[in-house]
Amino acid sequence: MYNLTEEGKKYLKEGLPEINLVQILDKPLSLEEARKRVNNFGIALQWAKKNGWVKIEDGKLVRVKIPKSYKIWDILKAFSEGKGLDEDSLRILLQRKLIRKESVLVKKAEKYVGKEVTNLTPELIKTGLWRKVRFRPYNIDAKGKTIYPGKRHPYNHFLWLVRRKLVELGFKEMTGPLIEMEFWNFDALYQPQNHPSRDWTQTYSLKNPKTGRLPERELVQRVKASHENGWKTGSTGWGYSWDPEKAKKLMPRAHTTACSARRLASGIEIPGKYFSISRCYRPDVIDATHGVEFNQMEGIVIDESLTFKEMLGLLKMFAIEIAGAEKVRFYPDYYPFTEPSVQLSARHPEMGWVEFAGAGIFRPELTEPLGVDQPVIAWGFGIDRLAMYKLGIKDIRYLFSQDIQWLREQKVLRW
Amino acid sequence: MPTIEVSYHDLCRLIGKNIPFKELSEKAILYAKGEIDEVDGDSLKIDIKDTNRPDLWSAEGIAREIKGRYGYPGLPEYPTQPSGLKVIVDRKMKSIRPYTVCAVVKDLDIDEHVLSQMIQLQEKVSITFGRNRKEVAIGVYDFNKITPPIKFTAFKPKELRFVPLEFKKEMTLDEILKEHPKGKEYGHLLQDLPEYPIFIDANQEVLSMPPIINSDYTGKVTQETRDLFIECSGFNLKFLMPALNVIVTALAERGGKIETVEVVYPDRKLITPDLSPKRFSLNPDYVRKISGLNLSTKDMCMLLEQARYKTSIKKEKIELLCPAYRQDIMHERDVVEDIIISYGYNKVEPIFPKLFTIGSQEKIEEFGYIASEIMIGMGFQEIMSYTLTNKNNLFGRMLLKESQVAEIENPVSSNWCVFRNWLLPSLMEFLSKNKHREYPQKIFEIGDVVIIDHTQETKTRNPRKLACAITDTKIGYEDVTSVLDAFFRNLNLRYTMKKIKHSSFISGRVASIFVEGNEVGFIGEVHPQVLNNWELEKPVAAFEIDLSKILDVLD
Repeated sequence: MYNLTEEGKKYLKEGLPEINLVQILDKPLSLEEARKRVNNFGIALQWAKKNGWVKIEDGKLVRVKIPKSYKIWDILKAFSEGKGLDEDSLRILLQRKLIRKESVLVKKAEKYVGKEVTNLTPELIKTGLWRKVRFRPYNIDAKGKTIYPGKRHPYNHFLWLVRRKLVELGFKEMTGPLIEMEFWNFDALYQPQNHPSRDWTQTYSLKNPKTGRLPERELVQRVKASHENGWKTGSTGWGYSWDPEKAKKLMPRAHTTACSARRLASGIEIPGKYFSISRCYRPDVIDATHGVEFNQMEGIVIDESLTFKEMLGLLKMFAIEIAGAEKVRFYPDYYPFTEPSVQLSARHPEMGWVEFAGAGIFRPELTEPLGVDQPVIAWGFGIDRLAMYKLGIKDIRYLFSQDIQWLREQKVLRW
Repeated sequence: MPTIEVSYHDLCRLIGKNIPFKELSEKAILYAKGEIDEVDGDSLKIDIKDTNRPDLWSAEGIAREIKGRYGYPGLPEYPTQPSGLKVIVDRKMKSIRPYTVCAVVKDLDIDEHVLSQMIQLQEKVSITFGRNRKEVAIGVYDFNKITPPIKFTAFKPKELRFVPLEFKKEMTLDEILKEHPKGKEYGHLLQDLPEYPIFIDANQEVLSMPPIINSDYTGKVTQETRDLFIECSGFNLKFLMPALNVIVTALAERGGKIETVEVVYPDRKLITPDLSPKRFSLNPDYVRKISGLNLSTKDMCMLLEQARYKTSIKKEKIELLCPAYRQDIMHERDVVEDIIISYGYNKVEPIFPKLFTIGSQEKIEEFGYIASEIMIGMGFQEIMSYTLTNKNNLFGRMLLKESQVAEIENPVSSNWCVFRNWLLPSLMEFLSKNKHREYPQKIFEIGDVVIIDHTQETKTRNPRKLACAITDTKIGYEDVTSVLDAFFRNLNLRYTMKKIKHSSFISGRVASIFVEGNEVGFIGEVHPQVLNNWELEKPVAAFEIDLSKILDVLD
């Protein structure tokens, strides 16, 4: 089955453009004149020339001949009157796009005419028959099927927001290995080998592999001297015999400060601001405040000009920029590797006073053996605590939730 | 950090001034590096932040520190005189518990506060500073029940009997280790020794078996006791001397009179305690450089006197005498902190460091972010798992032969005792916990794994991996290959696949993935036996690729 196209219907009414053109050319006409008098002039000229009815002479359009009959017109007329046409004739009309094959689906669309429909179909849209149907009104309150978009893990998303914030503040990220030598985790940080935090109850050790390779001899010797007698730093040192075998032992890193030690030893930009957000491991009994693993955010700031005042300023800035705190208070604090040391408590509009961060100036017994003479502020920020608040969870184990439904339903965090 | 329990009124009595509670908690307690953690009537729980200042772990020590800022500055004086008491150290102690240092404190008026503080200080010093009694064990005795001289010697486990503190019957040494609570707690410190250390007097009366327990007779101190004999024993005089000084000076703050003891070793004699102040010199420019405070040398001296130093100015430098209970001072830097504490941390103006630096993330973090964007765009939920797991998850359940993985020596749980060397088991575990949740489930994780690699200084490396898994009633190999294809197309990376054998996957439905000739991972349909092992009931298709390697190729 075939139907007239819009073009076919139009020509049936107005006549075919090339026929209209040849008929007005009783005398030669300029192209502009002819264009004014014939609709679809472009098509008219193309076909009239092709058929050899007209030609252009001295910029004017001249009739060559009036044909005896117009075949295309006769076929179109015959089609419109419902007369059967042969294959050739049909092909001519199809090629001129005056008729088109009527699809089965269009027929299907016709059966909806005058009725109330549920779905707006492509056929209704194409055929324009949508004008002749009524759409069934829906219950606009009804919710669609619940869908769960692909999403970032909320905790990871939070860490990413923090990471971005630090980069905005001009901090460079640093990393280090998950399995670390005690040397970098403790010794290079001037933590004595008999310190309680190096006890097996406080840190993990590795059964396999057991030991790593210490860095270059000179560095190791300086660290050893620093522990034993203060080396050239003007310190007394811890005053014990430093054992390289203990320093070689491998352990899952207990804090990201190990990354800072490596960075200091491997050359550092001055001025420099660095951060690290990394997985750390301690053998805590697992409960609502201690997970199997946790993330620490730490870093260092180095410049000749830095003093205790800048250290407080840095912490205050973190409290405001990252934790959204309103007010801060500082407390004297202690870390084996910093002096002076400070702890920051900040008042958060909803959480109240929270110990958010700590910092200190690295001891000279730490920095000088690593080849650094400038003051280095080491800082740390309680990132998991803030994450728990932001995600609205009370149990730290939920940070690593294995419940897909919880993940699907978590709201996407804004900064 | 040690938490110290003190009585508010006792503390004020020691300070010599009634400090309103608000002022104590917001200002005064900070001088002792403390923070009031809990208040229960008159009883305060104070966190002392400094684990290297045992002198602050008692009401006496806290008060002494605060007092300096409340009208009693300067070096505390601790005069001593000889007690005439001798402690003789047996030659054989060298291989058992080589050192002891001792003191006598007389004329004490012991009330409940003095007693409880003394016990608490002894406890905190031997646990935190004395490394759980390993380095320092402390004994306190009724001096008047002892017949001098005292011998520090050792006995075989069954050779000697005495009544341990709070017990009624005589017991042999090894019975005490087995039956007394302190014996059970600290017995491991004497493990493998042929003989156990003993303090014993001229009457053969046992004082104690350090580092375990005192005898009930001499080692019991009550409110009626006036004179005390005190000993610290261990392995290193560097620990023992300061520990003794901390204990005796705290008692001196209560009005006790300190007397010295002659400790006779086979090769030398020690007169202990040694309470002479240590000399130290300080450059005022250094103080200004570190603190950023514009203090005059005189100001510094005043602030140091408040921190209980004695100061004098000599040729632009400050000469210091620092109290004998301070064992923490190693460097000028330690003194700088004392100056700032006296000045008041909250009086210092915070200044944001004006350093121009260019921020950046680690490349692998950025790449991981882009990779996650593509996965999320395809409707995958990101998950986050622990890097610690167990061998059954990594190998057994995945039908793999066990291989070398980084393994923890002292795990808190057998569930988390090795580091994962691939990611897919984490995803399988996740799926196994969500069987009751709506399907399909499409998840991915980007995370580190630990690979043993002896070429590395830490014998390991931790590449960052991406793994994804899809599960539903009808899921197959082709569902995940189209994800992989989209992933690489969007990174503008060409990849090829090669048929492999991998027992975690169905044979003939698993391949390894190559990017520019580098093997970067594998893809496949998970073996039904693996699904059974995880108690999963729907098919799973997955891939795992090494983002660190791919990043290398891209660069």
